Amino acid sequence: MHFYESSIITTIDGLHCQVYGNEHPVNGILVKPKYIPTEKLHSDALPYRFISGRRMNRLNFWADKKYLKKYIEEFKAEYPEYIYKSTVHQGNRLFFSVPINKIERIYFPKKGLSELMGMPANSLDEHLKTVHEFVNFLLGSGLKLNDFGVTYSTLMGHYLSNRSDINIVVYGKNNFWKLMDFLKKSSHPLLRWKNDEDWMQFYSGRNRFAIFTKEQFLKNMDRKKSEGFFNNTLFIIFGVENEGEVWFKWNEEMYKELSLVTVQGTVADNFNSVVRPGCYEIKGSKITDGHEDVPVKKIVFYSRDYCMLAYNGEHIEACGLLELVTPKTGESYYRVVVGYFDAYISDRREKEYARVVNDDQ
Amino acid sequence: MAHFYESTLIDTTDGFQCKSYANEHPQGCVIVKPKYVPKEAIAGEGLKYRFLFEKCLVRFNLFAKKEDLNNYVSQFRKKFPDYIYDCPLTNNWFFVVPKNKIKAVHDCRKGLRELLNVPEKDLDPYLRLVRELVDFLAKSGVDSKNLGITHSTLLGNYTPGKSDIDIVIYGKANGWKILDYLKNANHSKLHWKTDGEWAEYYKEHKTSESLHFTEQEYVRHMSRKRYEGMFGGTVFTLFTVEEPNETWFKWGEEKYEPVGTATINGTVSSHYNSHVRPGFYEIENGSLLKNESGIKKFDGKIPIKRVVTYSIPFVQQAIQGEKIKACGLLELVTPKKAKPYYRIVIGYFDAYLNDRREKEFLKVV
Repeated sequence: MHFYESSIITTIDGLHCQVYGNEHPVNGILVKPKYIPTEKLHSDALPYRFISGRRMNRLNFWADKKYLKKYIEEFKAEYPEYIYKSTVHQGNRLFFSVPINKIERIYFPKKGLSELMGMPANSLDEHLKTVHEFVNFLLGSGLKLNDFGVTYSTLMGHYLSNRSDINIVVYGKNNFWKLMDFLKKSSHPLLRWKNDEDWMQFYSGRNRFAIFTKEQFLKNMDRKKSEGFFNNTLFIIFGVENEGEVWFKWNEEMYKELSLVTVQGTVADNFNSVVRPGCYEIKGSKITDGHEDVPVKKIVFYSRDYCMLAYNGEHIEACGLLELVTPKTGESYYRVVVGYFDAYISDRREKEYARVVNDDQ
Repeated sequence: MAHFYESTLIDTTDGFQCKSYANEHPQGCVIVKPKYVPKEAIAGEGLKYRFLFEKCLVRFNLFAKKEDLNNYVSQFRKKFPDYIYDCPLTNNWFFVVPKNKIKAVHDCRKGLRELLNVPEKDLDPYLRLVRELVDFLAKSGVDSKNLGITHSTLLGNYTPGKSDIDIVIYGKANGWKILDYLKNANHSKLHWKTDGEWAEYYKEHKTSESLHFTEQEYVRHMSRKRYEGMFGGTVFTLFTVEEPNETWFKWGEEKYEPVGTATINGTVSSHYNSHVRPGFYEIENGSLLKNESGIKKFDGKIPIKRVVTYSIPFVQQAIQGEKIKACGLLELVTPKKAKPYYRIVIGYFDAYLNDRREKEFLKVV
């Protein structure tokens, strides 16, 4: 079942959830709970926010692991309906989902942006004016307004001017790539790309020192045109898949967990690397650690950090969960998955990664 | 007939955000003022817009240009008749939310309790200021359990440095306790408009209400009020609401017959209920000064006993012993168990749509 990634769902239990993926099982929508009321459970290890008249915990998967693990266990006990037990994954995969009968309201990024862009300029505050101007700039790419959306705090209305990000959604993978090409070549007096210092701040937040050298990290990030600043406000652009272009269908494949591995290969196709979950098709793979060498066809990731990391022909290395994929029709193959939710509450959180490697590495 | 706290936000199934506009309500509905209505429902020419909760919303404003407001209300009435209560007791009408149209009620008291439980480190400067203000108000002796937050402070769609802090005080005695405390209390962040600032405000913000006051009169009335001030550079407003057992009237226990627009005078014998909405001043020696609309049915033997206000600018306008003059809708009140009397009502919704908007006022003379 298709449902656009990055839409926001509020539930009748007061949770604010972010849709996590574009393809979903039929009986629920896969999400990441973003803000969770603190009446039933709370954790001081997670940040608090006061939203919609409630004290909420912001679920941060980079919080202290011991407390995060405890919190997730409590969450499972308090909100069992929000845990999706996948029938297509073998292994202890953790998915969150909003059952259809728990949906209170869905906030649609496309509809929200269309409403926003139709507002008279004098009704907009500074933050919304910046969003308005930024979208007008993006429309210079040739994409239509209907190809864009706005999400998170801007969509919900609880943003803070000068502090909250602008989160733009682009509908359709071709559109997203087209926009990235436009941004590579474009300039605007209010546009500034992240500099090394900005990227290093991000890098520190993700505790990635053990995996990337600073130089590697900066080299990988520097060519990303999905993040930057517009009028000094951080913007992030997300790609989402339209219904006819999802790169997998729920229930058409079975996934069997094998082991944590490190794999290298050459990117054969990065077209699907702009969405979540994203994927790099690779060739000439070699498992260097964790399992006997088997041919790996895909590196799949759930973390947006790995979007557009590697380009066709580049060498990529990833550490993640090796899975044997058995499609309903067609031949079995292997894939490596980085960033399942359960990775964040295990030692995989520090181990998993994807990076571009130089030929001499 | 039914109690529902004033100043409480209600989301409706049609996507409106409304604010309850009284503490006592007819059976089956809540009297409200629509606050935000989706533009896709009614375009709202001449009114302001806000982008909130994924939608372009029309900000309903009773002080909008009368022609625009009339146009809007007329469309609203046609499109959403369920939200209009044609009241058989007053022969007037109210905006309401029928109970079956309530989607969510935002509990002001619970909201503040939740906010007070958020660690200081996780609060932005605006919310920190709210906390500090609440701590300061609690020094009056009113427990923070009897306080709440409402509007954007509660829902989180505030703009720091721009949005007011809206505090609800539960209980009339608590309301007076805080208002009295604020007469003399000091805080480094607290600022009341000086006479000079009120005079400046008067010059810059001419409203239908202030037209009835000279600059000097306006300053004198406003400078002693304590329901609105500045805290840390942010405007705060205090709304006192009635507990269920202390509402000053019960719906259905009186009938109100509109007589016409009138100006009266009298002496305030009690202002105890003047800090709530609707609020009222009990008066004695009330007399009809001006018969604005050719009132024929006025019976001079029936006393004029009350001046009622739905309009916030006229709350806490006068105190016991003061002589007042007021213009509004004269109503003959027939209680079920007492003698009839007259009252003047200022600020019914219909007043904003007709010539009473410019005529209504309440002042100490």
